[in-house]
Amino acid sequence: MDNKGLSLTGGPFLLVLVLVSSLLLCKNVASMPTCPSGAVSCEVPLGDLFDRAVILSHYIHNLSSEMFSEFDRQYAQDRQFITKAINGCHTSSIPTPEDKEQAQQMHHEDLLNLVLRVLRSWNEPLYHLVMEVRAIQEAPGTQEAPGTQETFAMQEALSTQEALSTQETLGIQETPNDILSRAIEIEDRNKQLLEGMEKIINQVQHGVRRNEAPSPWLGLPSLQEADEDTRLFAFYELIHCLRRDSHKIDNYLKVLKCRIVYDSNC
Amino acid sequence: MRTRALNPEARLQGPTGMDLWKLLLTLAVAGSSDAFSGSEDSSGRPQFTKCRSPELETFSCYWTDGVHHGFGSPGAVQLFYIRRNTQEWTQEWKECPDYVSAGENSCYFNASYTSIWVPYCIKLTNNGGTVDQKCFSVEEIVQPDPPIGLNWTLLNTSLTGIHADIQVRWEPPSNADVQKGWIVLEYELQYKEINETQWKMMDPVLSTSVPVYSLRLDKEYEVRVRCRQRNSEKYGEFSEVLYVTLPQMSPVPCEEDFRFPWFLIIIFGMFGLTVIFLFMFSKQQRIKMLILPPVPVPKIKGIDPDLFKEGKLEEVNTILAIHDNYKPEFYNDDSWVEFIELDIDDPDEKTEGSDTDRLLSHDHQKLLNILGAKDDDSGRTSCYDPDILEADFHASDGGDGTSEAAQPQRLKGEADLLCLDMKNQNNPPGRDAPPAAGEPGVILAEEGKARPLPLGETESAHHAAHAPLHSPSPLANIDFYAQVSDITPAGSVVLSPGQRNKAGIPQCDAHPEVASLCQANFITDSAYFCEADAKKCIPVAPHVEVAARGEPSFNQEDIYITTESLTTTARRAGTAGPAPGSAMPVPDYTSIHIVQSPQGLVLNATALPRPDKEFLSSCGYVSTDQLNNIMP
Repeated sequence: MDNKGLSLTGGPFLLVLVLVSSLLLCKNVASMPTCPSGAVSCEVPLGDLFDRAVILSHYIHNLSSEMFSEFDRQYAQDRQFITKAINGCHTSSIPTPEDKEQAQQMHHEDLLNLVLRVLRSWNEPLYHLVMEVRAIQEAPGTQEAPGTQETFAMQEALSTQEALSTQETLGIQETPNDILSRAIEIEDRNKQLLEGMEKIINQVQHGVRRNEAPSPWLGLPSLQEADEDTRLFAFYELIHCLRRDSHKIDNYLKVLKCRIVYDSNC
Repeated sequence: MRTRALNPEARLQGPTGMDLWKLLLTLAVAGSSDAFSGSEDSSGRPQFTKCRSPELETFSCYWTDGVHHGFGSPGAVQLFYIRRNTQEWTQEWKECPDYVSAGENSCYFNASYTSIWVPYCIKLTNNGGTVDQKCFSVEEIVQPDPPIGLNWTLLNTSLTGIHADIQVRWEPPSNADVQKGWIVLEYELQYKEINETQWKMMDPVLSTSVPVYSLRLDKEYEVRVRCRQRNSEKYGEFSEVLYVTLPQMSPVPCEEDFRFPWFLIIIFGMFGLTVIFLFMFSKQQRIKMLILPPVPVPKIKGIDPDLFKEGKLEEVNTILAIHDNYKPEFYNDDSWVEFIELDIDDPDEKTEGSDTDRLLSHDHQKLLNILGAKDDDSGRTSCYDPDILEADFHASDGGDGTSEAAQPQRLKGEADLLCLDMKNQNNPPGRDAPPAAGEPGVILAEEGKARPLPLGETESAHHAAHAPLHSPSPLANIDFYAQVSDITPAGSVVLSPGQRNKAGIPQCDAHPEVASLCQANFITDSAYFCEADAKKCIPVAPHVEVAARGEPSFNQEDIYITTESLTTTARRAGTAGPAPGSAMPVPDYTSIHIVQSPQGLVLNATALPRPDKEFLSSCGYVSTDQLNNIMP
């Protein structure tokens, strides 16, 4: 009804909007038909959205693991960080399912919102992480993480198949190979994933949005500690938390995908 | 025992070496003792070996019982754990809920005790004292169980029936919940032939079936699969080995993939060789010509070299006479090639039969003929030209004067000299009948031309040499053939050296020892020289002739005898010879009277006013154009 109303009164306007949107997107869009971001009536299949999201989350977790291993190897070997009691991550305050039963019992909308909340919580820490890693490495210029130009919207029309490698799907030209580049890449992809999640939620919840506050991050002072040991330990913990949370999100999304798209029969 | 073992080395290395070896050996022993006892440290404390979660729902921890057997009481080894909930650690260490399910020296945490993404710390106590401690998160210790249910199906076989592709399928471990997506596994397949030792690895795949390509049909293979959680590093254990026995497709088992077809090669090789040999030794000349065509030797069309052998000069002459292609080739195409006709009065020479007889009568001559005939050099065949030329000359002109008559004779003699065969061994150098010292060097056309002379000429000259009938020219030992080495631009034919042995004249082919025999008379006599002869004579000539002529020209290392040199030679040689100048009865240059094809050129006997310098400058060669200038 709303659509009809729109079409009756703002038909030409809508048409112009669609045209303009398609023009804007046409340079970035593959040959496949895409959904103009402004259009209302178009809906990308949920399955594609989830596939994309899973690929992104998997990639982010990969990068996080590698980054942690690299950091551990470079800075933490002679320091016995692992034996120290692991402080909690800043996202621990968000109640997330901690095993399979809990994850299965949780409603998928709640789970989606949870994922969104965790992702949002990481925006700020990732940003600072990049800044501080840059400072800690004293490397002024680094390669820009590829794929920064891409947005989730542009990729949504791409069909994701199991055979497609992450690199192809995400359009990665150069694999990040050091801590800083990985951090930058994670930051970018996190933003993409956030966009995607919002789209998924839009579709799943039909526009009903819950704005839940992300968990605040208070670890910036630790990252900027003068004492190198303390500082490095702060880094260590942050990257460790990043690895854990990326794994959590990856797992949740895979469960959700199997549940929603494949009806629990992946 | 150790010292005994050390001794040999000690002997080798000396006292300091022995100390070193002792130290090393002690260390080695000490180290090995550690190795034997395994990962236990020397105190034998219990230690965690590993903690493992197979499906991200439960986990177990294992430790070693470090207590040495027989050393005191085992004690109560206990495991305590603590995990962090939300923001706080639970204050108490809790004991392991299940010491049994995972086996001995293990602690099993079932799903209710397992929380993912939650830090755990476990500690091992022995009699109250902590012996080991470890912290981890469950998602970090995932190591799935091996896949189950391996089977394979044949995809296809190659056309040769040697290779085949198979598809291997399996199931994920039963406890891993991949259907709900709780855990995502990736698999790695390994295969090898049964008697091999190295496993071949394939890239990790996410699916539970994978094709294996290019397996040999006659071999048996082993296949095994293992899996790990995606993004993890640690693989689980390998599955059970799957034995793949491929069916034999071809009724006739192939022995090798590629067997070099020796049999076929041998057969065809034999066949080919047989054919070749058959044809090579076949009497069928025609087929032989076809299969193995002979390398064409230089020859004149229409003239069979065999004719030379048989001495059928008349035939050759006729052929040459009627052969239009030859003469024009010789001079029509090249305007500067000129033929000189000799007017030789020798009746013997005119009769063809006498030629043959002459040829055939003397063995050595015959030998020479044969030798000459064998040389298929075209120059030799060109020797026959003057025969025809002479005939025509006589037909057309008759004698041009006694001097001419004499000259031709001498010329003929010279020509005989020129038309020499390679080795005139039979002609002893002793034949140094003095040449007509005073005889003018008859220059046939231009100086420096070595005119090819026919065999008949040679023979006649030879005959003349034998019986000095016509001329005092002691041109004995004349070779019948002279190899033409070059045709000068002016048209003269330059004979190659080494083919005359006249009066001790050295062989043209570089016999320096014979060079000494180079006679002045020869030089004085002839206006024509073999180049080599001239060369040979050059060093000699000065000795001989310097006094006589003060011949500078021969001192020159001229390949070609210049007109100048020859003229001077000729002039000086013969006191009775023609005076230099146009009044010489033997002119240096003779104008061409007639150009008769194919008989050659007919020269004017009269000496023409000679633009000496003009001609002489051109090194003895006169071009047709120049001649035209002289000709009236």
